[in-house]
Amino acid sequence: MAANKSKGQSSLVLHKVIMVGSGGVGKSALTLQFMYDEFVEDYEPTKADSYRKKVVLDGEEVQIDILDTAGQEDYAAIRDNYFRSGEGFLLVFSITEQESFSATSEFREQILRVKAEEDKIPLLLVGNKSDLEDKRQVSVTGAREKADEWGVQYVETSAKTRANVDKVFFDLMREVRAKKMAENKDKNGKKSGKKKKSLKERCTLL
Amino acid sequence: MTAIKHALQRDIFTPNDERLLSIVNVCKAGKKKKNCFLCATVTTERPVQVKVVKVKKSDKGDFYKRQMAWELRDLSEVDAKDATKENPEFDLHFEKVYRWVASSTAEKNSFISCIWKLNQRYLRKKVEFVNVSPQLLEESVPSGESQSVAGGDEDALDDYQELNTREEQDIENMMKVCEYAISNAEAFAEKLSRELQVLDGENIQSIMASEKQVNILMQLLDEALAEVDAIEGKLLSYEEMLQSVKEQMDQISQSNRLIQISKTNNGKLLDEIQFLVNYMDLSKGHIRALQEGDLSSPKGIEACINASEALLQCMNVALRPGHDKLLAVKQQQLLFADLRDNFARRLTNHLNNVFVHQGHDQSSTLSQHTAELTLPKHSPLHRDLLRYAKLMEWLKNTQREKYDGLSRTYVDYMTRLYEREIKDFFEVAKIKMAGTTKEGKGKFATLPRKESALKQETESLHGSSGKLTGSTSSLNKLAVSSSNSRRSQSSSLLDMGNMSASDLDVADRTKFDKIFEQVLSELEPLCLAEQDFISKFFKLQHQPAPAQGETMDDMDAMLQSRPASEHRHSISPDKDMVRQMMNKIFHSIETELNSLIALGDKIDSFNSLYMLVKMSHHVWTAENVDPASFLSTTLGNVLVTVKRNFDKCISGQIRQMEEVKISKKSKVGILSFVTVFEEFAELAETIFRNAERRGDLDKAYVKLIRAVFINVEKVANESQKTPRDVVMMENFHHIFSTLSRLKISCLETERKEAKQKYTDHLQYYVINSLGQPLEKLNHFFEGVEARVAQGVREEEVSYQLAFNKQELRKVIKEYPGKEVKKGLDNLYKKVDKHLCEEESLLQVVWHSMQDEFIRQYKHFEGLINRCYPGSGITMDFTIQDMLEYFSSIAQSH
Repeated sequence: MAANKSKGQSSLVLHKVIMVGSGGVGKSALTLQFMYDEFVEDYEPTKADSYRKKVVLDGEEVQIDILDTAGQEDYAAIRDNYFRSGEGFLLVFSITEQESFSATSEFREQILRVKAEEDKIPLLLVGNKSDLEDKRQVSVTGAREKADEWGVQYVETSAKTRANVDKVFFDLMREVRAKKMAENKDKNGKKSGKKKKSLKERCTLL
Repeated sequence: MTAIKHALQRDIFTPNDERLLSIVNVCKAGKKKKNCFLCATVTTERPVQVKVVKVKKSDKGDFYKRQMAWELRDLSEVDAKDATKENPEFDLHFEKVYRWVASSTAEKNSFISCIWKLNQRYLRKKVEFVNVSPQLLEESVPSGESQSVAGGDEDALDDYQELNTREEQDIENMMKVCEYAISNAEAFAEKLSRELQVLDGENIQSIMASEKQVNILMQLLDEALAEVDAIEGKLLSYEEMLQSVKEQMDQISQSNRLIQISKTNNGKLLDEIQFLVNYMDLSKGHIRALQEGDLSSPKGIEACINASEALLQCMNVALRPGHDKLLAVKQQQLLFADLRDNFARRLTNHLNNVFVHQGHDQSSTLSQHTAELTLPKHSPLHRDLLRYAKLMEWLKNTQREKYDGLSRTYVDYMTRLYEREIKDFFEVAKIKMAGTTKEGKGKFATLPRKESALKQETESLHGSSGKLTGSTSSLNKLAVSSSNSRRSQSSSLLDMGNMSASDLDVADRTKFDKIFEQVLSELEPLCLAEQDFISKFFKLQHQPAPAQGETMDDMDAMLQSRPASEHRHSISPDKDMVRQMMNKIFHSIETELNSLIALGDKIDSFNSLYMLVKMSHHVWTAENVDPASFLSTTLGNVLVTVKRNFDKCISGQIRQMEEVKISKKSKVGILSFVTVFEEFAELAETIFRNAERRGDLDKAYVKLIRAVFINVEKVANESQKTPRDVVMMENFHHIFSTLSRLKISCLETERKEAKQKYTDHLQYYVINSLGQPLEKLNHFFEGVEARVAQGVREEEVSYQLAFNKQELRKVIKEYPGKEVKKGLDNLYKKVDKHLCEEESLLQVVWHSMQDEFIRQYKHFEGLINRCYPGSGITMDFTIQDMLEYFSSIAQSH
């Protein structure tokens, strides 16, 4: 029974999401709000931390693995490794800080470089701190233009009020899932996809 | 001298309410000139104070000044210097000795004698007199002397009679008439005697003239006396007449009284007879009802109730002393007693039959209920019997023995009936309980052995309903045998691995919860209805107990308060009686409940969480209704068991943690008991969400989490394949995220502690692992730093033999870029191998390692620059190289 269970838990689909963005834009705040429904006012730079949560994505129970990263490294190359481990990315900037918005291009380029062999990388451009409208420096249109240019979704969030917090994580997971399905289909053409079948089995059980 | 004395009295002493008795003109011995007066005074008001006052004549003018005063009682001695010769000196001993010289010996003597008298009179001869001539100290002082001190002699004063004002005026008038009186006293005296003679003569003449009138007066008096005698005779005759009238009146009143007495007596007798007839007469209808009334029809019961009440009234009539001596009364009482006994017998027999009949009747219909989890209702029986309640009350009041016997019979039959019903009820509940788990697990294609064991168990329950003890013991055996096959750490039925929080198990649990709830909510009204019925039927009514306002925080408080509350309510014997009957009737409930709980606990020890919450809720409600009722005591007792099971469940988990063994070959990962704790907490949070028992859970949490902490550390220390720091880091990371997610407020400190431990061990792990790729460089620079710490100046380190430039070059050469890259590659692989998939800390750890590695590199570079300046020695690889290594490692995975 125990073996059964542990197998059952680990066989849940796991989506690996990476939080990316400059320091102080609210990556950890978004993560904590999503994970534990809490908002921590005090700012303390993150080194790196990993979170895992079971969620129901469109009726299917899945696990999300969030890697909350440091925004303040001296050397970009340090990020290579975890960028590589990620399946989807939330590219976060603060709407109250133009610089953080500019930095997103650099982050995106690095992601593309690290995951060069993949043609489409699930990514959302996230403008955080939407509750601080009076301090806004980045216009919605400006951000949207950039997102359109990249062909990604742009969402404004507030970790403080929890506005759109679930949306960005779930939308990203949907993109990740869609991409995985597409890949599986490609593989299925050659040999029957083991993973997908077992997944279906579980669904009926649940 | 006298003038002075008067002046002194007037000016000084009278205003002070003092009287001057004696005075002596003195001057101080030795000094002439200054002369003053010593005065002996007494106060006019009592208590008398005697003083010696020194008065001085003012130099200018003619007034005196009070200079000094002593209390006579302060005077200890008077020294007159010489007793025989005349000498004006004398001493007075007050607080000190005052020496005086009197202006004359006579004054001195008179003063001393006055002091002596005052001494005699007021001071009881305290003062000593020295050198005073005995003459002076005699009571009878020569008259000449005495006159000089006349003011002081009070006896002389007493003899003197003053003229009052009227006499004074008369004399003055008379003197005025005779103007010459004073000038010519002789003529005046003669005139007075002449007038006196004239007055005498007139007086004698008037006396002689009054004699005739006296004689007339005497005659008148004699006549009056004769008249009085005549009136007296008449009065006497009247009195005699009155006497005879009075006698007649007396006789009349006496006969009147007798008539009155006989009248009241008649009245009283009538009352008595009326009273007896009214109260001791029983109607024919009543007598018939008592003798042969139909006890099975409502109408007959009604008649019997009325009749029995009437009989009771008749029998309870308060007879006055003496009534029982009446033959009629005696006969009537006998008749009543007879009626009573007959009726009581008839009633008892009838009710007995009813009890027996009902007991059998109910049991025959019992089989219908077995399919569902319900208890048969006794309300029809209760309704039927309640019709007899009044008769029971009558029986209780009249025939206590029969009443007791009847209640015993009732209890006997009901006990049997309920025992059967409850047993069947619990049997069904147990089957359902066991069935739940079976159904649930039945969906799995492969039933683990435990499930099959349970299935067998349920089947045996179906088969041999009633032999519960046997079946539970078989369950035990089966459980033990089945558990042997499972993982080594799950050594008992409390297999936590089994308790996954998957939907299926939750559904299972809620089903169990529902069954348990149903059992309790079936039992509750049954007990309450029975208790209500008993108190109504057997007339054991009691005042409703005041609802207990106190809420018990936890079990211990409640257990403590229980005996107290029981004691409080045991005062009412009726209530006690009800409880005794209830205890007897439902004696099986507690054992059945306990065995049900034991079964629930056997099926799944986590069930005790549900049971604890449900049970305490029911106890709480029961206690609110009536804290001393049978139901709340029984449930209270069972709650203790449940709480024990809960504690056992907790300690079982803790024991399992302690027994966990880690295989030496595979990596440790997240320990099973850490996930078990997570599941337990998740489940407990849902169960206890709104429960009253939160305190118990919080206590259990603290115990559990402490055990988790301790055992994680224990396992970490024992772990061979996985480094200690990795075990600690991963598990505490997991615990931290669990606690953050569940937000259990009482474990806030533990949450922080877990976070601290996680970060600490991450740090240790990173540092320990990083020592390896550049091991020798590390050693070398540690040595350099040690020298610097010992006081060697940084630039001079290179002159040390072990740390000269040559050595440095040698060490650096050992780490060409290629080697470093390989080392890092290996390190990455090793970390990947250490860490488990579930916690996904690889990126976190690797991130820290990269950071730390860069930090070390920079540190080494800094040391080279400072300790070997200008040597041109650099590391064999640059930071840029290193970042490339990292990138390539990233690309290769």
